[in-house]
Amino acid sequence: MPELKAQARIRPLDELDIGGIVKIDERITGIYRPDVWERRVAYYLRRDPDASQVAEVEGRVVGFLLGDLRAGEFGIEEPSGWIERFGIDPDFRGRDLGKHMFEAICAHFRSQGATTVRTLVDRRDPAIAGFLKALGFNPSVLEALEMRLPPGS
Amino acid sequence: MKVGQTTLEKKYHDAVEHWRRHWMPDYDSLLSGWERYFPKDEPFCLCAKLELGTSELVKIGDHTGEKKRLRPDELTEEEAKHLLAIIRAQASTEFGSIQQHAGTLHRAADDEDRFWVLRVMAEELRHGYQMFHLLLSQDWTHVSGGVKGEEMVEEILSMQTGSHVLDAFNLEYDSFIDNICFAAIIDRVGKYQLTMQKVCAYKPMADSMPPMLREEAFHLAAGVIPLRRWAQRAAQGDPLVTMHVIQKSMNKWLPRGLEMFGDERGGDTNVKFGFKDMKNRDAQDLYIEEIRRMVRDINARYLRARFPAYGPEKVEQVLDDLERSRGRHDGVGFEDLIHMSDRRFFRRKGEPAWTMVGVDGEEYKDVDAYVTHLSKHLPEAYLTTRDMRMYVETLRKVVAGELSVKDAIMKMPRLKRVGGACPCSRAVRWVIEEPAAKSS
Repeated sequence: MPELKAQARIRPLDELDIGGIVKIDERITGIYRPDVWERRVAYYLRRDPDASQVAEVEGRVVGFLLGDLRAGEFGIEEPSGWIERFGIDPDFRGRDLGKHMFEAICAHFRSQGATTVRTLVDRRDPAIAGFLKALGFNPSVLEALEMRLPPGS
Repeated sequence: MKVGQTTLEKKYHDAVEHWRRHWMPDYDSLLSGWERYFPKDEPFCLCAKLELGTSELVKIGDHTGEKKRLRPDELTEEEAKHLLAIIRAQASTEFGSIQQHAGTLHRAADDEDRFWVLRVMAEELRHGYQMFHLLLSQDWTHVSGGVKGEEMVEEILSMQTGSHVLDAFNLEYDSFIDNICFAAIIDRVGKYQLTMQKVCAYKPMADSMPPMLREEAFHLAAGVIPLRRWAQRAAQGDPLVTMHVIQKSMNKWLPRGLEMFGDERGGDTNVKFGFKDMKNRDAQDLYIEEIRRMVRDINARYLRARFPAYGPEKVEQVLDDLERSRGRHDGVGFEDLIHMSDRRFFRRKGEPAWTMVGVDGEEYKDVDAYVTHLSKHLPEAYLTTRDMRMYVETLRKVVAGELSVKDAIMKMPRLKRVGGACPCSRAVRWVIEEPAAKSS
């Protein structure tokens, strides 16, 4: 069992966190996919490196929250914070690490002039939906829509 | 935080663009390929960026709590001279790294790697431009020995690999592995310097740092991510990529990176003047720990690719075992992994300058034995360079007592500009600085 009293440190993501994020993702999904996270981390580091956050306990990355500031998405011209991916090592849940990382990323979004933070959630995943609701997210007037593309001729 | 943007007076802007045409012939392809490789990213802007809304007060040193200085003449003469040297050195490194990257950029095996490095080069150009903004937006002539901003710019633009201020920028790249290792190792020193300078008592300098640091974050990724991918390929038996090639390039760059922090015993003046918030050794210690993390990360990627059935905990355990025992695990030896060389290895500046210390910290008494050791641990193509020849010749003199360490530090070759009107003049020749007569 991890030492519950160990202090967590919330800090911006860096390129040496990829291995830690891959591990957390693997613990959650059971899939090892370093390529995916190398691409995602490179994306966030080049766009908005101060936004994405990690939680570190005793030098080990135990949580991550990736997002960036965007304008012009879906006709929303004012800059908004977007949260895309997050994960907490199952051994370190229940310590408010997600909340602390969320507060840090929101502070960054505010400093950049954003007044809204947005994300998408899979309704079939009540744990994630509940977590986001607890953070203060509410249903948006924007609704995510999709359709299957018919096979091309 | 908000960022303000500004451009240099046209003749200086044009001079940078002119330089860029010589050293970044692929610049246009970067712009045309930007959307493909960096979709939705802000387009590249050759301009100076200044963070707005930063602290007005000096945070460290003799002037703590006072208002930050806005003009060089608000600093003491000694402070202004010191800061001017920092800005010129910083400018030199930015342009220097582009020249180094340019040499082997085309040898990238992967288009994405090449485009990432191209973006790094463009952003280094912007960082050099940023330093020019600091040199040209105020009058420094009272501390520059009468040298005008225009002349300082010309001097920096005329530097080439060999004539830059810091040694790390005077080494040619041997292959594309150097582009990657340089980004992972040398740009990491840059990150430390920029971070330390965020507190700078000269406000325009402090305000220049955050935008540069944000760009630097990707530069480090442009080094580490390809290294991780190459470690995977090496583990999967790709004969074209090996851990030994990565190791040798790291051995080439890490000593120069450590020297970029300045002598381990120094740095007090920067703190006293409020220009940086850490002394040299303190910053270097943190850097070494970060390099250690990077090496472990790459090794873990290698082991996982070698043993796909292993979970992350098993990989960590095998890594610990190999590091402890220096033995083998199921066909993988300790020597198959990459390692961080001893901080005293192959040093020519700083506290361990001109000592003969091996990659594992072993000490050598005999120059020939040490040179043989170097030849086994440095890239083959680098061994035949002028830099190595001069290093070995100088080392022999230091060991024989014919040259002091201080003079040896001065004796490494530099290119000196001897004329030419074009700001990117190639009219340079090799010269060796004469040791100071009274040096001990």
